[in-house]
Amino acid sequence: MKKQFNPERSRGAKPKVAFFDFTDCEGCQLQFANMGQALLEVAGLVDIVNFREIMSEEGQDYEIAFIEGSITTDKDVTRVKKIREKANVLVALGACATIGGVNGIKNRAPLELAKERVYGKKSDTINTINTMPVHKVVKVDYFIHGCPAYIPEIITVIKCLLMGRPYVLPNYAVCTECKMNENVCRYEKDQECLGPVTRAGCNSWCVNNGNRCYGCRGLVDNPAADGQKDILLKYGLKLEEILQHFTLYNDSMGEKYDQAFK
Amino acid sequence: MKYASIKKEDLNIWLEYLSGRARLYAPRKKENLFVFRPVKDISEIALKYIPTILPPKKYYFPQKEKLFKFKIRPFKTAKAIKEFEDFILFAVHTCDIAGIQCLDVIFRESPEDPNYLNRKEKMIIIGIECLEYCDKHANCTSMGNHVPRGGYDLMLVDIGEKFILHINSEKGEKLIRGLTYIKEANDADMLSLERVREAKKKIFKEELNGSLAKIYETFDRHFASPIWQDVGRRCVACGNCTSVCPTCYCFDTSDEMKLSLNEGMRYRIWNSCQMEDYAKVAGGEDFRKGRDSRQRHRYYRKFKYPVDKFNRYFCTGCGRCTRTCMAEISLIETVNSLLAAESGTPERPSASGVAERGEAK
Repeated sequence: MKKQFNPERSRGAKPKVAFFDFTDCEGCQLQFANMGQALLEVAGLVDIVNFREIMSEEGQDYEIAFIEGSITTDKDVTRVKKIREKANVLVALGACATIGGVNGIKNRAPLELAKERVYGKKSDTINTINTMPVHKVVKVDYFIHGCPAYIPEIITVIKCLLMGRPYVLPNYAVCTECKMNENVCRYEKDQECLGPVTRAGCNSWCVNNGNRCYGCRGLVDNPAADGQKDILLKYGLKLEEILQHFTLYNDSMGEKYDQAFK
Repeated sequence: MKYASIKKEDLNIWLEYLSGRARLYAPRKKENLFVFRPVKDISEIALKYIPTILPPKKYYFPQKEKLFKFKIRPFKTAKAIKEFEDFILFAVHTCDIAGIQCLDVIFRESPEDPNYLNRKEKMIIIGIECLEYCDKHANCTSMGNHVPRGGYDLMLVDIGEKFILHINSEKGEKLIRGLTYIKEANDADMLSLERVREAKKKIFKEELNGSLAKIYETFDRHFASPIWQDVGRRCVACGNCTSVCPTCYCFDTSDEMKLSLNEGMRYRIWNSCQMEDYAKVAGGEDFRKGRDSRQRHRYYRKFKYPVDKFNRYFCTGCGRCTRTCMAEISLIETVNSLLAAESGTPERPSASGVAERGEAK
């Protein structure tokens, strides 16, 4: 049995935190570094021992591990398993880590073809496996969705893990937050949006700023596939286009998504 | 003085005066829709508007409301936050005033809700009567809310060159007292008001194909109707219909800690019966599995349950739930389908039946 993370410890010695990136753009770690004033407060509560973007030391003694990026090679699998063995708490940070993210596009083609497209003649020297979110390989204690992760949510999760409490992910659509922000619905303007089936928690960040929802937080537990398809079809989208929208971030989420949307 | 009048050219002078008396909120355009906003520029106020995206509910029952501060060590909680400033809601439609009356019933029921009442105490409502339909989605006539039925401090009615002001409270009277440009309504004004109301009778017709009593009975008998499955199949459970409803009041509370992890704030946040986890309890049991039973619940919360409990329908007829639904679930269509099923004519009334009234813009 793995020893549980003890929140009482944070009142004495500060828990050691390490960041590790896998297949990703490191943008979510950058979000963490961009936290502003709150970063100073967080630094007072935890001891950051490994974070490539903000420091040069690489401590290997840690209790909390933030994993960024998706798992795409055999080496990744071994590495993340090792981190899991060492860490008491494991956090998946950002869309690549939580749902596979954009990297999942690789899964649309057979692996050999994907390799050849990217590496050409050198493809046989490359090891690659189907893109997986972190929880397909090891147990994840906290999920911070989003591409990139939303800073207020990162802070909320940090508080939860320091208090030793679970972070309950919203299981309702982005629309709920979007409506509370009193945005004019994109469907009202004949523009498509994945808000109705995408998990909330971002405070409708993109739509607030005039963009559409791309579904980067993954879908709600029980997305209304039929209803959503009807809506998109009504707004003139073809089924293939709809599928592309759904799979931009969620392609590596597997069967549940395939059944609902393919 | 019960009725007063103000010339249209003097309205802006009065609005300037009002904005000096209290914080003024009024509808203004946002892209192709409307929203209530603090008034910065009086010329932006829209007197003719289709119901705003969110009802004015957001000012007396905010989306995310601070309830009180607390501290863990030493343990301490504060009383409900009640420092609110006076505010005026200007140009509120009669449907939305009905919404305020409904929430009054809810939050005044014992135990009274201090946060709501503290805000409500500071609120002044100046209504405006609609003289034509906002659009085809409204069912205000069937709900009896197309005409003023109290619940406001002042009510504006456009009679051509002037507005008639119905003075319905002392708070309202104070806002016009001593102003030379607001006069007691004369006989000619009152005659014009009567004419306006007569003309309205030709425009506003009951939108639902049955009386409220009949609708209540129908709901009583059609809990298992296949109509709910049809509605549920189209629903994506986005929760738009409940967010925009002036009488939906479900909320959740959440404690948010500061990074000190010793102090925090308790918030009250809007919740919705359309959400997947809403009726789930410990152990994973779900009392309203499926979007069909959740949609049905929403309708019953408007046309059946509050009638049993408070003798009041909780649909105001504003039409927002239909207007905001991207799956085009229409309240008028659903209720009329139930009424048709009740009277044994199973065919669904077409959307064109609704559109016949035309769209008054």
